[in-house]
Amino acid sequence: MTGSPPAPPPAPAPPAPAPTRDLLLPPKRRPGRGESPSASAWRDLRTRPLVLACTGVLLLMALMAAFPKPFIAVLTHDSGRCELSDSRVGPSLDHPFGFDLQGCDYLGQVVRGSRPSLVIGIVVTAGALLLSVVLGLLAGFYGGWVDGLVSRVTDVFFGLPFVLGATVVLVAFPDHGLGAMTLVLVALGWTTMTRVMRAQVIGLKDADYVQAARSTGARPLRLMTRHLLPNAVTPVVVVAMLNVGNVISGEATLDFLGVGLQYPALSWGLQLNAAQAYFLDFPHLLAFPALFLSATVLSFILLGDAVRDAYDPKLK
Amino acid sequence: MGRYIARRLLYAVPVLLATTFLIHAMVFVLPGDPIQGLAGDRPVPPAVLAELHHRYHLDDPLVVQYAKYLGGLLTGDLGRTFTGEPVADALTGRWQVTLRLGLTAWFLETVLGIALGVWAALRKGRWADNAVLAGTTLVIAVPVYIVGYLAQLLLGVRLGWFPISGTEDGWPTAYLLPGLVLASFGVAYVARLTRASLLENLRADYVRTAGAKGLPRWRVIVRHTLRNSLIPVVTFLGVELGSLMAGAVVTEYVFNLPGIGQQVFQAIQLREGPTVVGITTALVLVYCLANLLVDVLYGLLDPRIRHDR
Amino acid sequence: MLTARALRLPAAALALAVLASAAGCVRRGDEDLGPVPDVPGGEYTVALTEPDHLTPGRTTSSYSLQVIQGLFDTPVALDPADGHAVPLAAESLTTDDQRVWTLRFRPGAVFHNGEPVTAASYAAAWNAAAYGPNGWEANGYFSQIDGYAALNPADGAEPATDRLSGLEVVDDTTLKVTLGAPFSQFPMLLAFPAFAPLPKAAFDDPAGYDLHPVGNGPFAMDGDWRHHQRIDLRRAGGYTGLRPPTADAVHFRIFTSKDTAFTELRAGHVDFMASVPPARAYEAKRTFGRRYSVRPSGTMDYLGLPLWDPRYAKPELRQAISMAIDRKGITRAIFNEVFAPADSLVAAMIPGHRAGACGETCTYRPERAKELFDKAGGFTGTLELYFANSDPTYEQWMTAVANELKQNLGIRDVAFRKMSGADLGPILNGRKATGPYRQNWVVDYPSVQNYLAGLLGPNNRSGWSDPAFDEALALGNAAPTAAESEEHYHQAESIALKALPLIPLWNWQDQTAWSSRIGNVLVDPYVAGLHLEKVTVRH
Repeated sequence: MTGSPPAPPPAPAPPAPAPTRDLLLPPKRRPGRGESPSASAWRDLRTRPLVLACTGVLLLMALMAAFPKPFIAVLTHDSGRCELSDSRVGPSLDHPFGFDLQGCDYLGQVVRGSRPSLVIGIVVTAGALLLSVVLGLLAGFYGGWVDGLVSRVTDVFFGLPFVLGATVVLVAFPDHGLGAMTLVLVALGWTTMTRVMRAQVIGLKDADYVQAARSTGARPLRLMTRHLLPNAVTPVVVVAMLNVGNVISGEATLDFLGVGLQYPALSWGLQLNAAQAYFLDFPHLLAFPALFLSATVLSFILLGDAVRDAYDPKLK
Repeated sequence: MGRYIARRLLYAVPVLLATTFLIHAMVFVLPGDPIQGLAGDRPVPPAVLAELHHRYHLDDPLVVQYAKYLGGLLTGDLGRTFTGEPVADALTGRWQVTLRLGLTAWFLETVLGIALGVWAALRKGRWADNAVLAGTTLVIAVPVYIVGYLAQLLLGVRLGWFPISGTEDGWPTAYLLPGLVLASFGVAYVARLTRASLLENLRADYVRTAGAKGLPRWRVIVRHTLRNSLIPVVTFLGVELGSLMAGAVVTEYVFNLPGIGQQVFQAIQLREGPTVVGITTALVLVYCLANLLVDVLYGLLDPRIRHDR
Repeated sequence: MLTARALRLPAAALALAVLASAAGCVRRGDEDLGPVPDVPGGEYTVALTEPDHLTPGRTTSSYSLQVIQGLFDTPVALDPADGHAVPLAAESLTTDDQRVWTLRFRPGAVFHNGEPVTAASYAAAWNAAAYGPNGWEANGYFSQIDGYAALNPADGAEPATDRLSGLEVVDDTTLKVTLGAPFSQFPMLLAFPAFAPLPKAAFDDPAGYDLHPVGNGPFAMDGDWRHHQRIDLRRAGGYTGLRPPTADAVHFRIFTSKDTAFTELRAGHVDFMASVPPARAYEAKRTFGRRYSVRPSGTMDYLGLPLWDPRYAKPELRQAISMAIDRKGITRAIFNEVFAPADSLVAAMIPGHRAGACGETCTYRPERAKELFDKAGGFTGTLELYFANSDPTYEQWMTAVANELKQNLGIRDVAFRKMSGADLGPILNGRKATGPYRQNWVVDYPSVQNYLAGLLGPNNRSGWSDPAFDEALALGNAAPTAAESEEHYHQAESIALKALPLIPLWNWQDQTAWSSRIGNVLVDPYVAGLHLEKVTVRH
């Protein structure tokens, strides 16, 4: 492909994923009359099949997390008891996912595992995102000692070995519950995004439109929230969407190292861990939680992309 | 620029002091007893317990422990591990392993990540884009130790392309497979970031202008777009350089590489204070340097950023 | 576009890799080449976990002991078949009253550096280990010898002497040992590596010696111990003892992950592995066939109960917990039929083990358990299970136990207290646990007495004590014949099983696997592990 002159796109272009021949010029889209930009973005989103699919998956997962019982009752014959004699039995009609190592109905376990996994993935990412956006914005915008302080604290937190932080927090909360795990993962997970946010803000704060706004007397708060934030946040959101999956399997890694969630808690991470030693002989133990985890992560990423595309003024 | 770098280096001193104290405090507040932990299920005779507590300064209060540590530090003594090995010796041997692994992974991550990201961006919405997305998502969703064991079985045992574990084959042979596994996580991030950033910039006015002027497309991409798209990527990669070193606990474990990550994990489990502090301090130093490097690189990538103002 | 094409290949390879691995098509172990010829020479590699020390008195870790077994000859060895004591570096071991023992050593033995091995070399080593302020890990093994208390003052004060008063060097080959009390099992204790002799070099530079121990055994160090990487041994030059080595050299490769070590064994880069993870049992059986074996081990797992917590005070409740646990089910599901359900406090391979000593209490009787549980008044609050996070299988079997306690006894709240060993040790030793805990015992010498005294002796973790138990043990220690000792020990065991401060769970079995390159693989369930000197190598 070379830089051939662009073919003019058809006027109300069907939105992505339909590929356009040229990538240098975006299809022009006209907002409906009297429609605000966000309303048009919202209308955009609703019409994309991919977005609908992703929303569907996430909605389903969320429903499962909120009300696991009806799902289990409909989908499988879980007696609620775990019989060791059923250990690792493969999928069957009555038990679509088979049984886990402990002889519990695996579909039931995977469905019950969705709540902690989703809660950790979403709450941790949201917490870390919020923290990093605020800190990155402040550090990048003000520079000087604010930047110095934030950056040095970031350095120190970077240096903290994940396992040490986890061990300390978990000693303070001996039940290793959901709350403690969320705290650990937020406390140790905000640093990367903060660096990315700070870098974006530094790159943008001297841009013309920011200077223009500044010269019209806009206050720092307004500058940051109205001008810098929307333009700087894209890469941070990209990282955050990937982070959901990272966090869910990060919980699994903590558990692999022996400092993660523990009984009676359930999570996809714990299930992946238990499956690890058996993946050659009993692949279903690995496959089902991995499938649910992948579907969730993929949906978050795609949805993140779509939302960004729809709202980003530059992509219009 | 020179003054900027000097100032940043000066900042590292309080950071290091804060870190060493923080880690000391964290290890100190942990309630465990390393000596009894080492003995496992056997009781330790009281006389032995008292002697070992004394030997590793475990019977001192926090501030005294920290003061003794700093005193030792001034004379170049980083303390001893519970097997009696000087921490400094253990560190030097292990740093080489971790550094090689980290740099190998970092290199693979940079090259693969940016290449995949560019590829996906240029083929936005087509199967290549989707394949990159699906592949990288799968890698994120499967914990790293499973990826590691699979890679060993397949590429090491079955195909025999790579050594399975250990450092005996030297660099780069012994580090390729663990490097790839360690990088697999970051590749997803780098690829996504590159793709997002590139897509955004491909729509920018100056790129359109360049395209309209009839510049060859690859030139537009490489000279104009990619360079400007790399800021978040470079930030991320700078951060990654550090976290690859520390985040290699599991990879080092699976591939039996005697590096820093493994040691710090074991030291934390054993409550081996001096080792934890020594390693962590060294790691923070690496982060400071990596971040400095990144900040300097911003200036080169983006003329809008100036440090000496 | 060049970049696109260049990238397609690795992407396709990756996809292929994922597919191929998903199909699980992994090469079988190296093919069988028939029996290994019994000729001297050759080298082989053993997978090992990082030892803590290599100085005999400074370690009780089985990984250290495996290496030390090649480097040192202890005064006696244990017969691999039944565990009775046979002389090794000693010629004879005699006593009249089970209290004063006379050891005569073989003359002419030398250390690897040429220094002669004398009775004084033994006395020096034992004194050093028994001297509290040295902080040597095997200190406790010398507590039977007269004068031990003087070297280990309870208040941590400086001892007045650094020699055990019970040791008397009569001449170069004779050592007279006086014990604090009669102890009929003393010969077996002497097979423990801490009783090996040490040369003068060990005291001149202890740190250097720990990296390069000079012993009196069939193999000598070849270069220093390279921490976390390898230990190399070669045939010792002037060895005149009873265990001449067959192979020229043994290499230990140190692994942190046993799974990785097993993968290396599969690939043929390692020749022997002593502890294949139980989860890999099916894979190992399939891959190694006749070169895979499961052997009895002396290691036992128990569920210890905190008797100081009033909720566990009633024996019925403890029996209910024991009978609610499906030992057979757990050993089948979690340990892949490798471990054996326990029916006694003692491992099945120990001489004096009584099959079924625990009786109905150690069998799975959920209904009876529930009856006993209700009779004991049930259980209030959360039942917390304490264990270390050092191995993922602990969590698996604890989960099974937790499920069973919930399902069979109706205990509503069961929670884990999983933590690092450094945290768990003080909690258990300080009697701060509020629930059942994992208790493990690795046998030191094959005697019922070792389990009973080690687990339930004075100041044990469970807080249980019974004068009748202590008396039966003391009588057994003083009895003149093995048969009489055993009778008293059995009595003590029955007392403990009735009170049940410790619930026996299962007896470990060691899974070993080896490559087709080596033969004559003799693994002993006692302290020696793999008999390094007997292995033959195809070369």
